Amino acid sequence: MFLSLIREWALTPVNNYRLFHNFTRQDFFAQFTASVGGFLWLFLTPIVHIIIYSFVFAYIFQVRAPAGFGETSFVLFMMIGYLPWFAFADAVGKSTGLLLEKAPLITKVKFPVQILPVVGSVIPYLTHGIGFGILLLYLATQGYLSVSWLLLPVIFFLQFLFTLGLVAILSALCVFLRDLQQLVTLGVTIWFFLTPIIYPITMIQDEAVRELFLLNPMHSFVNLYREIVLLGEISLIHLYIIVPVSLLSYVIGGWLFMRIRLAFGDVL
Amino acid sequence: MPRITVNNLHKDFKIYERPQDRLWEIITRKPRHRLYHVLSDISFALPDGQSLGIIGVNGAGKSTLLKLLVGTLQPTSGEISIEGQVAALLELGAGFHPEFTGRKNIYLNASLLGVPDENIAELENDIIAFSELDYFIDRPVKTYSSGMFVRLAFSIATMVRPDILVIDEALSVGDMAFQRKCVERMNQFRAERKTMVFCSHSMFHIQELCDIAIWIDQGRIKEIGESDKVVGHYEDFCNSKKTYNSIREDLPEELDKKAEADEAEAEPTVQDCRINSLTVKDIHGNTIDELEPLSSVVMEMEVEVLKDGIEGNFGFAFMKSSEEPHASFLTTEIDSVEKGPFSKGDRFTVSLTVNNFAMRVGEYYVLGGLADKSGLLWYETKFSRQLSIKPTKGVGPIIMDSSWTVRRS
Repeated sequence: MFLSLIREWALTPVNNYRLFHNFTRQDFFAQFTASVGGFLWLFLTPIVHIIIYSFVFAYIFQVRAPAGFGETSFVLFMMIGYLPWFAFADAVGKSTGLLLEKAPLITKVKFPVQILPVVGSVIPYLTHGIGFGILLLYLATQGYLSVSWLLLPVIFFLQFLFTLGLVAILSALCVFLRDLQQLVTLGVTIWFFLTPIIYPITMIQDEAVRELFLLNPMHSFVNLYREIVLLGEISLIHLYIIVPVSLLSYVIGGWLFMRIRLAFGDVL
Repeated sequence: MPRITVNNLHKDFKIYERPQDRLWEIITRKPRHRLYHVLSDISFALPDGQSLGIIGVNGAGKSTLLKLLVGTLQPTSGEISIEGQVAALLELGAGFHPEFTGRKNIYLNASLLGVPDENIAELENDIIAFSELDYFIDRPVKTYSSGMFVRLAFSIATMVRPDILVIDEALSVGDMAFQRKCVERMNQFRAERKTMVFCSHSMFHIQELCDIAIWIDQGRIKEIGESDKVVGHYEDFCNSKKTYNSIREDLPEELDKKAEADEAEAEPTVQDCRINSLTVKDIHGNTIDELEPLSSVVMEMEVEVLKDGIEGNFGFAFMKSSEEPHASFLTTEIDSVEKGPFSKGDRFTVSLTVNNFAMRVGEYYVLGGLADKSGLLWYETKFSRQLSIKPTKGVGPIIMDSSWTVRRS
C-alpha cells in the first residue's frame, strides 16, 4: 500500500505528462499574462529585497563575508543564498492556497490531484531558477567556475524535493485547517531569519547555538551553494544532512498527500 | 456487460457545527459530527450503450451521485465499478483560466479530461467549429459571455469521445440553437452506442435522450425503469406535491394510484389546476402514436381545477420540442366554450378535433393545458407521448387537402 502510493506519487509527472506540461505552462504564464511588465515583475521582488538587504546589512551594518570566503563581496555572498531560498519561500508560501484555489476543479473533475503540489513547486523553482542561473552565469565570467559546479543541479534538485514534500503536506492540511494559511506566512518569515542568509553564521559567537543551526536543512542548502560557487568545495556534513532530509520530506509528504487526497472532495 | 455497476452505495456527509470540531475530532478521536445521509442503498447496473437519466427534486442527491460516479467523491460504503474512460461535465468550464484564450484553454481542459497527447491538436478545429466561437477563440475566456463559455466547455467535453459521458444540467444553458446542437451531439453519442449519464430538470430532455431513468427522492431510489414511465410518475408526483403540500402531508401511495401518467408527462408550473390525462386519438377513438397525414386527430384531456375562481382558456398545441410550437389552438376566441370562473373540484374533459392534419413529416408532441384569461400564461400544461407521422410520398414539410383536375384542351 505504502509503496504503491509512493510509486504513484513519484510517477505522477511522468504518467500524466501532458497534463503536467499544460498545467505548468498555464500556471507559469498566468503569473504575468495580464500585466504589462510581464515576467520582469517576477524578478522585481527578489531584486528589491536584495537591494534592501544589501543596503541595511552591507552598507549600514558593514557585515562582511566570513573569512573563509576570501575577498567575496557580501552582496554576492548573500545573493547566492537568497535566490535559492526565495524559490523555497515562494513555493511554501503559496502552498496553502494550491488546493483551495482549485477547489471547483477538484470537486468537479476527476484528475490526479497530486499533480497540483508538483506544479505548485515546479513553478517557483523554474522562475527563480532562472534568476539563480543568471547570477551563476555572471559569476562564471568572473572566474568562479569550477568542476564542483556540476553538483549545483543535484543540490538544487534535492532542495526541490525537500520543498515538494513540505508543499504536499501543507497544501493537503490546509484543506482541513485553513488557519494554516496565516501560520505558514509567519513561519516562512521566521524561517528566513533563522537561516543564515542575510548574515554569515560566523557572526554567531556561541558554538553551541551554531551547532543548533544544523537542524535547519535550509542552512545546509544555502551553505552548500556558497561553498560550491565561491570556493569550489563542499562540507560533507551538509551533504549528509540534505540527502536523507530531502528524500524523507519527499516520500513522507507524498505519502501523506496520497493518503488523504480522497477526502478532499468531501471538505472542499 | 454493464458499463456502470453500482452496488449498495451509501454516502454520508459529516456535518460539523464549527470548523475546529473537525480538528478536535482528529486529535481526540471523539466524534463531534452529525451524519447526514445523502444517498442510501443505491444499486443499479447500466448496460453498455444505454443512457441513464437521473431525476429528482433539488437536494435529492442527484449531483452527489454524479460526483461519486465520476470519482471526485468517495462512497462511504458500497461499490461503484466503471468500465472505460469517463468524461464529466459536472460544471461547465471548471478549470478554465480566465486570462487565457479559448484556444489555450482547450489544451488544458482536454488534457484534464484525459485526451491522449497527440489527439488534442487534431480535435482543436472541430472543437472551435462546434463551439461557433470564431474570432473569440483567440480572446481571453474572461471576455466571454456565459453562453460562449458554456459552448466551449460542452464542445471540448463531447469532442474528446469518452466511453462514458457524465453531464450535470449542461443543457439548461445556451441559446435554443445551441441546445439543439447539443441534443444532436448527444443523440449522435447514443447512436455510437456510447454510455451517457445525464441529470436534468428538463423532463423533455430526459425522455428524449435517456433509455433508463432513476428517480431519486431523499437519497433513495424511488423508481428505476424506462425513462418515459419514470418521468411520467415523477411529473405527476411533483404536480400533486406542489398542490397538496400546504393542505396535507404527502400521501405517496394514494398519489401513486392516481398516477396514470404512463401516457404522458407534464411540465410543473403553477398549482392552480391539474391535467389528469392527455391522449391523442383517431376519429374512431383509438389511442394513437402514429398518424397518417391528412387524417383527423382528436386530442383529449381531463382537467381538474384545484382552486376557486380560476378563469382561463383551454388550449392544445403541436410541439416540435418543449419550446417550439408548430401549431396552436386556444379557446380565447371561442365563445361557446366555458371560461370560468371555475370552482375547486370542477372537472372537464376537453377535446379538440383537428381535420386534415397538415404536417407531412416529423415527430410531434401534443401539449394540452389551461391558460389564463389572456391566453399568454399557462396555469398547467402536459405533454403527450411522441406522435410520429407516417411517411408518405412527396417533399416538403406540409401536406394540403387538395383535388386534381386535368383536362385535355
